[in-house]
Amino acid sequence: MKSLIMGNEAVACGALKAGMTFFAAYPITPASEIMHELAGREPEIAFVHAEDEIASIHMAIGASLAGRKAMTSTSGPGMSLKQEGIGLAHMMEVPLVVVNVQRVGPSTGMPTLPAQGDILQAAHGSHGDYVPIVLYPSSVEECYRYTIEAFNAAEESRSPVILLLDGYIAHLQETVDLDAVAIDPPIPRTLAPLGQGRRHFTGLLARDGVPRTKDTAYYREWYARVKAKMLEAAAHYRFFDYQKNPASDTLIIAYGITHRVVRPLRGSYSLFKPVRMFPVLEDEIRAAAAEHDKIVVVEMNDGQYRGEVQKVLRREVLGVNPLGGTISLKEIRERLREL
Amino acid sequence: MNYKDYINWEKMPTTWCPGCAIGTIFKQTTFALAEMALAAEDMTVVSGIGCSGRAAGYFNADSVHVTHGRAIPVAEGIKRANPKLKVIVFSGDGDLVGIGGNHLLHAARRDVDLAVICVNNGIYGMTGGQMAPTTPTGEKTLTSPHGTAYAPLNIQGIVTSNRRHWFARASTFHIVHLQKVIREAVEHPGFAFVEVMGFCIENSGRRLGFKSGHEMLTKLKSDYKLKAGPDGLLGDHELGVVKNDGQSG
Repeated sequence: MKSLIMGNEAVACGALKAGMTFFAAYPITPASEIMHELAGREPEIAFVHAEDEIASIHMAIGASLAGRKAMTSTSGPGMSLKQEGIGLAHMMEVPLVVVNVQRVGPSTGMPTLPAQGDILQAAHGSHGDYVPIVLYPSSVEECYRYTIEAFNAAEESRSPVILLLDGYIAHLQETVDLDAVAIDPPIPRTLAPLGQGRRHFTGLLARDGVPRTKDTAYYREWYARVKAKMLEAAAHYRFFDYQKNPASDTLIIAYGITHRVVRPLRGSYSLFKPVRMFPVLEDEIRAAAAEHDKIVVVEMNDGQYRGEVQKVLRREVLGVNPLGGTISLKEIRERLREL
Repeated sequence: MNYKDYINWEKMPTTWCPGCAIGTIFKQTTFALAEMALAAEDMTVVSGIGCSGRAAGYFNADSVHVTHGRAIPVAEGIKRANPKLKVIVFSGDGDLVGIGGNHLLHAARRDVDLAVICVNNGIYGMTGGQMAPTTPTGEKTLTSPHGTAYAPLNIQGIVTSNRRHWFARASTFHIVHLQKVIREAVEHPGFAFVEVMGFCIENSGRRLGFKSGHEMLTKLKSDYKLKAGPDGLLGDHELGVVKNDGQSG
């Protein structure tokens, strides 16, 4: 049945559909509706309104280790705090979904206004080298669908997968029939729960549960294995949308709410919307870019994804950067014309 | 069951220095587990960071060694996910009441069914001997070279500020009592906190003038006494259990 539903609510529904049975979070604008939607669903799921952001991601890690699909949700200030847990989950190879509904930062910034300023944080927010999978929906229906995919990717890669939203997508209300959305079947748990007898999970570099903290050769071997594992899993989640306009020499790359805002320009430009933000869809972006003279990334930040695209294409990439706050098609269209 | 069944012998010897308090607490914990005949499949040990944080990996059971201060929230997640598991947190004072202090406050308030064994040596040992929130007033450390100006954190006060609570203080000299309260803590259906007084020899004890682990044990013997009566809070140098089932008092 069709109903009017908000992006954040669709994330909660997607998580339930994916088989999530543990959720812990801390209230924060503009992510709180995910919590509200999941509160009161015990005993169907375990729900914890934790004392802080750090606790909530660590509770989710513990719950995942103990056998449940787990999720936590937050916004920028909380995401900064969750970084230590994200690193831990990468090191211990724990499946998990972390939702970041972006608002304007840094720090407390403009809490109720959306932004896309946490793109690079999603890729590099925790210390050390790691290869995360990051998905970014751009509609309510996609919030539902890609939350399920995020859980699948988490299981397949045994890592914390980040689902990026922005305050607009999170609060966007659209009429959707969630039951009619085509989804991939949820992947069952890939990690045997705690209680097997003798495994050791640690944030230290370890081989078979034994710390190897001074073994550079093993660290390199370990990193190569984990990176290969992540790339292999990520290969099954190459989500994007490419609408070519044969009359245009310009390709606009935009994601999340920005994609929605520039979509009316498809009569004048080609549009590429990455959903899997990281690992960057190198082949797909290269192929689309090869058909155009000008590449423009439109994003609500100071060029974070443009840098990534430039790295892939090794040619000049232009940017239209409205930054966080309010966004208007008129302003973007004018700036595109100036390029 | 024998206590040896609870030790992962492949990982022996431990990283702990001769004379360190942690080995004693670890061993008394394995004695308590053997007494309860707890199956490895029915338990999980979680540790944070520091010398005590290495304990989780030495148990012959599934175990988790997490980031600094986060042993309690990870343990809470585990317990909520699988209430049948006995979840034991084994970590240090800097980890549990310093950087992890907020989690202690709230897990105690929520009365999560965990047994928390806290090695309280009053110092950050692994990092070289810096002041901990539990360092006695006036004690000189690397980060309090003129002597700590502050009073040590009152862990008992924090835990027992909740109407329903279970708190014990033990020492590495009084090992029979230590084993007894660890067992009680694991069996207690709710949040149980065991503060175990002990010393770090290499990065604290020697600076305080102790020449051996034995001298430090002697100090614990003379400083701490088992509380005679069952009522009221423990004095600063008393060992025992303080509990309230939330119905009375």
